[in-house]
Amino acid sequence: MAEVVLTDVVKTYGTVIAVDNVSLTVEDGEFVTLVGPSGCGKTTTLNLIAGLLDITSGTIAIGGRVINDLDPKDRDIAMVFQNYALYPHKSVYENLAFPLKMRGEKKDEIERKVRAAADSLGIKELLDRRPRELSGGQQQRVALGRAVVRNPQVFLMDEPLSNLDAKLRVQTRAEIKRLHRDLNATVVYVTHDQLEAMTMSDRVAVMGGGTVHQYGTPLEVFDTPADLFVASFIGSPAMNILRGTLQQDGAASVRVGSSRWPLPQRLSTAAKAMNAGPDVAYGVRHRDLSVSRTEMPDSVHGIVYAVEPTGDITFVHARVGSDAIVASVEPDVDLAPDEDVWLAPNLDRIHIFDGVTGLAIRDKITSPGQAPRASFASEAMAFEDLPVAPEVPSVTGRE
Amino acid sequence: MAVATKLQGTTADASHEDLVARTRRRRRIESILIDKVLAYGFLIVMSIFALFPFAWMFSTSIKTPQEAFVIPPRWIPHHITFSAYRVFWDTHAANNNNIARYFLNSTIVSIGTMILSVLIAVPAAYAFARFIFPGKNPFFYIILGRNMFPLVVFLVPLFQLMATLKLQNNYFGLVLAYLTFSLPLAIWLLKGFFDNIPVELEKAARIDGCTRFGAFLRVILPLTTPGIVATAIYSFIGAWNEYIFATTLTSDPKLRTLPVGQAFFLNENSSQWAELMAVSLVISIPVVAFFLLLQRYFIRALTEGAVKG
Ligand SMILES: Nc1ncnc2c1ncn2[C@@H]1O[C@H](COP(=O)(O)OP(=O)(O)OP(=O)(O)O)[C@@H](O)[C@H]1O
Ligand SMILES: [Mg+2]
Repeated sequence: MAEVVLTDVVKTYGTVIAVDNVSLTVEDGEFVTLVGPSGCGKTTTLNLIAGLLDITSGTIAIGGRVINDLDPKDRDIAMVFQNYALYPHKSVYENLAFPLKMRGEKKDEIERKVRAAADSLGIKELLDRRPRELSGGQQQRVALGRAVVRNPQVFLMDEPLSNLDAKLRVQTRAEIKRLHRDLNATVVYVTHDQLEAMTMSDRVAVMGGGTVHQYGTPLEVFDTPADLFVASFIGSPAMNILRGTLQQDGAASVRVGSSRWPLPQRLSTAAKAMNAGPDVAYGVRHRDLSVSRTEMPDSVHGIVYAVEPTGDITFVHARVGSDAIVASVEPDVDLAPDEDVWLAPNLDRIHIFDGVTGLAIRDKITSPGQAPRASFASEAMAFEDLPVAPEVPSVTGRE
Repeated sequence: MAVATKLQGTTADASHEDLVARTRRRRRIESILIDKVLAYGFLIVMSIFALFPFAWMFSTSIKTPQEAFVIPPRWIPHHITFSAYRVFWDTHAANNNNIARYFLNSTIVSIGTMILSVLIAVPAAYAFARFIFPGKNPFFYIILGRNMFPLVVFLVPLFQLMATLKLQNNYFGLVLAYLTFSLPLAIWLLKGFFDNIPVELEKAARIDGCTRFGAFLRVILPLTTPGIVATAIYSFIGAWNEYIFATTLTSDPKLRTLPVGQAFFLNENSSQWAELMAVSLVISIPVVAFFLLLQRYFIRALTEGAVKG
């Protein structure tokens, strides 16, 4: 019903291409997040959907109707802004009532809806106050209230949580997710915080330089990044990326400096099939590296640089040649700086990317996302020396 | 041992309490000194400074011509007369100047300047604050650049222009001349007020159901009212007090403004100081009244810019 479809959308400011050929379909009732670094065109895309900016080329349709030439007020959308944009000269009540009033609703109907929205957001004590008399968190709620009161087809949210403190952010994140479920609304959400993107969304569009690099579920973009940009943007700490050359002679591997990083045969074959290489980037996440004090098969030698306990996991920063690598171990593992360690990547969960195009090199049958994650038990058996961090379903919960 | 520590403790407490008491006393004295003496002292000095001319104008306006020149000057004249105030209705007493008419002229021209300034400056300033268009910065600097030249530079060209356009001895001609200096200032001031309003407010209003113009009327305008009022007052006062343009562009006595008419009380034949002061006092009344009536807006405009929080 209220599906949002962007087709080849372009927006330029003079010579700056802010949004470059974006095509995106947001299903009815879906929660989609545009995530990407600062300046990648997220806000611009959202403003184009809202109709606050004129589209340079392409089309945007909401609920099957092309709305390129409709005013924002006729698009049946609501928007929550980063700075909340509450009307300073109106009370909270008037702020909530404004969109209803502008639509010519009856006074008692407005009153009923405003009270209901205020009730559900826990702001009914604040209705008589002015925005400047509210805390940041309360202002945020009023801004949400002004969006939900009208029950629009599509919600657009531009970094609505970024001005809240960490605790309130976590709480409000859950509330927005719940709100989305209860209202059964289509939401396009913008953030540069990948944790928000991963935790809240049905699907994530990873943007960079005005284009969508990958569009998929949070687990898809995490497990099977489409290119180097997505691989290095999603995940915290970032995926270890090593630039090297593909070695096809004997056991497949990627040579980085004097180290040889092991490569499963399937990826070597895929690279050959795609005519990729020999320049490639080798990617492995911290939790897919086993750390051991003794040499293991298919492992790379490194020297511990720093150890960072976080409580439930300990990050090990190591140097392999001139590359800095982050791995993780159980908190009870006691490693010291300058110790020799061997790092063994989980061959099922490594990534390689074409060194020139940055695109992922992947065999069609078993991409890393579909490969079974190595179980804790098998890794512990293989490398008795050090227990390895267990797999945790939450993807970026380490911040 | 226990006793010793306790004793030590109490002496320490005693000196501590003493310190607290002294600090409190010092702060109280400081607060009286700063809040009351200094603040009020300063305000009183400033008030005297501001009120002195008015008091002197009034004092002189009720003096006889002889007493106006007595040395040392007297604040309260021995012989009090209000005859100077006859100039407002008696043109003969006013050296054949129709002061009431001048008052009307000044009012028309000043209000005209004020209204046109605001009507033109609001959209212009809004455009400079919000829109991107080619030549935006050069235009703005040209407008501001006008303020770098003294008014007299424009006197002769404007005189010839008005002569060509047949706009001499015409209210509208005078208003046009005044716009040359009131508009740049008004645009610059108002742009500052619009700049201070987050663009998102307008975006929110447009999403909530307003057209672009509706968003301006319902959200931006209410928020910039203090700024617009302040700008209007500046424009009014600028026109109300203006002398050089008025005297150059109007030769017809019927179209004289107050500052021009007032000057006729001092000429080679006579110096009617009491009458001059009476008129001066009346000239100041609208300005002062304006400030008193609208000071609320004025202060808000100066302190808040536009929106806080
Ligand atoms: N009015 C404008 N004029 C010129 N360039 C602009 C304008 N607005 C945005 N841009 C450019 O367009 C690009 C995308 O901007 P946009 O605001 O969409 O980024 P964003 O992804 O929302 O970033 P952020 O996370 O910092 O909010 C940037 O390079 C920006 O400099
Ligand atoms: Mg943005």
